[in-house]
Amino acid sequence: MNLDAMRTHSEDETVDAVVIGTGAGGAPVLAILAAAGLKVVALEAGPNFTPETFAFDETLAEEIYWTEERLSGGSTPEAFGGNNSGTGVGGSMLHWGAFVPRADARDLRLHTETGEGVDWPISHGELRPFYERVEAFLGVSGPRSYPWDAERRYPLPPVLRNGPAELMAGACEARGIRWADAPAAVVSRDFESEGGPVRQGCINCGFCHQGCRTGAKASMDVTYLPLAVSHGAEIRPESFAHGFERDRDGRIAAVLYMKDGRERRQRCRAVFLCAGAVETPRLLLHTGLANGSGQVGRNYMGHVATQVWGTFDHEVRMNRGYPSSLITEDFIRPEDADFAGGYLIQSLGVVPVTFANAVARGRGLWGQPLLDYLGRYNHLAGIGINGETLPCDANVLALSDETDARGMRKARIDFGYSTNENRLNVHATKVMRDLWEAAGAKDVWVLERVAHTLGTCRMGHDGDTAVVDPYGRSFEIDNLWISDGSTFPSSLAANPALTIMALALRTAERFLAVGRSSA
Amino acid sequence: MTGRAPDTLFCLHFLGGSARTWTPLVEALAGAMRVVPLDLPGFGDAREESGYSVDAMADRIAGAIAARSGPYRLAGHSMGAKVALTLARRAEDGDTHLAGLSGLVLVSGSPPSPEPIPEDRRSRMLSWIDADSETRAREARKFVQANVGASLPSDLEDLATDDVLRAAPAAWKAWLDSGAREDLCRRVGVLRTPALVLAGSADADLGPDAQAALTLPHLAHGHLATVDGVGHLLPLEKPDALARAILDHAAGPSEPRAAPPTIPPGYADLIASDRVNSRLRSALNERAAADDPAYAPQALDPVELAILRAVFARVLPVAGLDAAARVDARLAAGRGDGWRFIALPADDEAYRAALRTLDAASRATHERPFVVLAGDRQDALLTLAQKGELAVPPALGGRLDADRMRFWFEDARADAARLYLSHPAALARLGFSGIGAGGDSPAPIARGLPGFTNTRLDTPEPWEPKPWKPEPSKPLAEESAR
Repeated sequence: MNLDAMRTHSEDETVDAVVIGTGAGGAPVLAILAAAGLKVVALEAGPNFTPETFAFDETLAEEIYWTEERLSGGSTPEAFGGNNSGTGVGGSMLHWGAFVPRADARDLRLHTETGEGVDWPISHGELRPFYERVEAFLGVSGPRSYPWDAERRYPLPPVLRNGPAELMAGACEARGIRWADAPAAVVSRDFESEGGPVRQGCINCGFCHQGCRTGAKASMDVTYLPLAVSHGAEIRPESFAHGFERDRDGRIAAVLYMKDGRERRQRCRAVFLCAGAVETPRLLLHTGLANGSGQVGRNYMGHVATQVWGTFDHEVRMNRGYPSSLITEDFIRPEDADFAGGYLIQSLGVVPVTFANAVARGRGLWGQPLLDYLGRYNHLAGIGINGETLPCDANVLALSDETDARGMRKARIDFGYSTNENRLNVHATKVMRDLWEAAGAKDVWVLERVAHTLGTCRMGHDGDTAVVDPYGRSFEIDNLWISDGSTFPSSLAANPALTIMALALRTAERFLAVGRSSA
Repeated sequence: MTGRAPDTLFCLHFLGGSARTWTPLVEALAGAMRVVPLDLPGFGDAREESGYSVDAMADRIAGAIAARSGPYRLAGHSMGAKVALTLARRAEDGDTHLAGLSGLVLVSGSPPSPEPIPEDRRSRMLSWIDADSETRAREARKFVQANVGASLPSDLEDLATDDVLRAAPAAWKAWLDSGAREDLCRRVGVLRTPALVLAGSADADLGPDAQAALTLPHLAHGHLATVDGVGHLLPLEKPDALARAILDHAAGPSEPRAAPPTIPPGYADLIASDRVNSRLRSALNERAAADDPAYAPQALDPVELAILRAVFARVLPVAGLDAAARVDARLAAGRGDGWRFIALPADDEAYRAALRTLDAASRATHERPFVVLAGDRQDALLTLAQKGELAVPPALGGRLDADRMRFWFEDARADAARLYLSHPAALARLGFSGIGAGGDSPAPIARGLPGFTNTRLDTPEPWEPKPWKPEPSKPLAEESAR
């Protein structure tokens, strides 16, 4: 994004807040604080891209993925990098899929409902206005009426349905399952949010995950970050935060970061750690801060994100159009479930390199069968779920003994499904196979997959069992706030970005209301 | 023929040989080629000279080559081949004294990697070289006899035995103790000089399999020929066959290499059209360019690169695409994908260890290196790796256990598949239209890019490349009968 006219701050100046990370957690915070007149500086580890570099190609897009190595262990090791982790001004939102269901209200009180998992320390009612604000600001496209929430209205009409969506809609009809055009943070017509550029209506290019060339997708670099900059926020790209200085009371007085090969120091009155559910706990564990509860790094969660693929007689050309343009939430609480929670199903179109990677790994094809199968690309379509993952003691992020180029220990993430996830997965796989059979798919196969990065700095009411309070404020260091997926106590079935942004607004406004008084 | 005079052929002998080893070849090539046999330090007329390391031997030969004029070729036999490869590396690196090298002839060559001599044979050879003269005479003859396929004529056997006895024992021991063990694999790297590699079918340690696994990987333009019924001493055993092979190789064109994968004209037109943006067009053209046959690996060594090429020939059977070299370049650049299985070592080390383990599995199972196995046998080993059942004890060279081999093979498949679908020829095969979704736009937030208007089933836009067609339901016989 264009940062030429941005206001800048001196490192010696004590700014009101430093925000570490410019993705879904950091960008809204930066905008809210700047709009309130605060002096705020964001540190972004990655470079500042401009949309001109987004070139409709998966290999060229590797530059927007966080490719510093993480170590994946556990019984279902999760892929990082392009699977869920981004870099650059805008964070992972540069490559996110922009699929923005709201969390189901029941998912926030799962323990009360089922005895499994945990309840969130906030209610769905509290979140709702923030959801609506985010949707309105980003320009979310969606159906005129949402089958699972009669009151919901989306600001823009839905984006075009594509081949996989059409197939899934037909299958849902055949099986008596409700479906809807997906809520997508992709503008279906030209749109301009406050402080931002005019964004072109989606051209259906299908490269959401490779960076949006037309600004149709509501990544942070065309939404909250321009708003923040218009209100005087400063964004420092290629600035990797690695430590903190604290005052005599233990409060954070400055953030240490590397830029241009040199260690720098930004004095500040408060810090918002918004680096995502891997880098946020990694930095806390690295610095030894805010972990009196022993919870930092614990209860790491990825979503159960199994996909089912099939070959169709139709010319599907799944690269065309918004990739996940259909949704059903009929399985958020399946009647015959032998597990807690549920899942949503989305239609899937995937671009070739991502698909080839999945086929080679997940289907295990190689040799001529691999080439032959990939050759059917234009006739393939998939559906996939996003399913609840419960917090679990065995799923932990810790620091490895291996270090990165800076000498900082790499993150090691152990993740595996437990009984609940396995049961949910079996249920969903059966449902999806049946749907694809109804759609006329041949050569159906299942891709086991884990998506997203959540947990590790859970929020709660009690500093003995949680890292931050229900607003994201550290129990131990009162000028340290966390705003990203790491604070999720459980995964929810919904894809997380919308909820992260809604929570970010709430965190920022709480800070404005009470956070500065003790400063 | 009116061409230039044939190149001079400098010849470097085997352990225990001398310049005299080449006398039969000199006669066989008389009138066709100028042959200059040379003694290595410690052997033949140079038996009083010292300097037995591969480099020291190469230095001495370099001096002799520098004194000649005109282009030349280098022949190396066994030990002499390692020296010849070292000199070729120097020549290709621009050593002006060695300029003019036009070809290599490697006969039963000792490879740049440590030579695979069984330890019991090594110690036996070390044991008698300092013994009493009677033992020496007996063992030297046995040594010659053990290294041939069929018995030599008695005059040649006498001569060869005499050469062994003439050799300085210190030189003999130096080769066995250190020269043969020197690991020059990465230093020799990959040579562009055309090379003829000859192996005797009855050679115990340095036969065709060893040459394919350990010598050919260093030669971008190498050709391996096996001489039937011959052991380790081809210049003595079948000098005429050697002479013919040298002349044929000198005259013949180098073998054709597979052209890079073809991009059909229609897809090439799409790439050239204004539907494709400039950055992507450059990237696609770069990926479509032919790979350098002399690609010098950086993460792997040349022997490992050859194993990876053999693996990828099974995993990704696409002629003309050197996926192994491209993966190596990626590994060397440290461009990871952001994660790795915790069970595996770092990506480059995982590849090296896995490839060596696969080769060890092949040797343990089939007593042959992986690169020479028939495709179905290679597939069977890879299938075991995929199932997590490829277990090779460390004593046999296994470096990754069965679980780790499974993880590695998953990574390798994914690396190959991703690389494949970044190639425009592969995208063309798919009929992938995504590259044409938008060309250049001057605005930071692009305006007016075409994208897709139709996104529904069965609604291709007129410009979109042809899709894959489902297999015809009619049997092939009927098709061809029409």
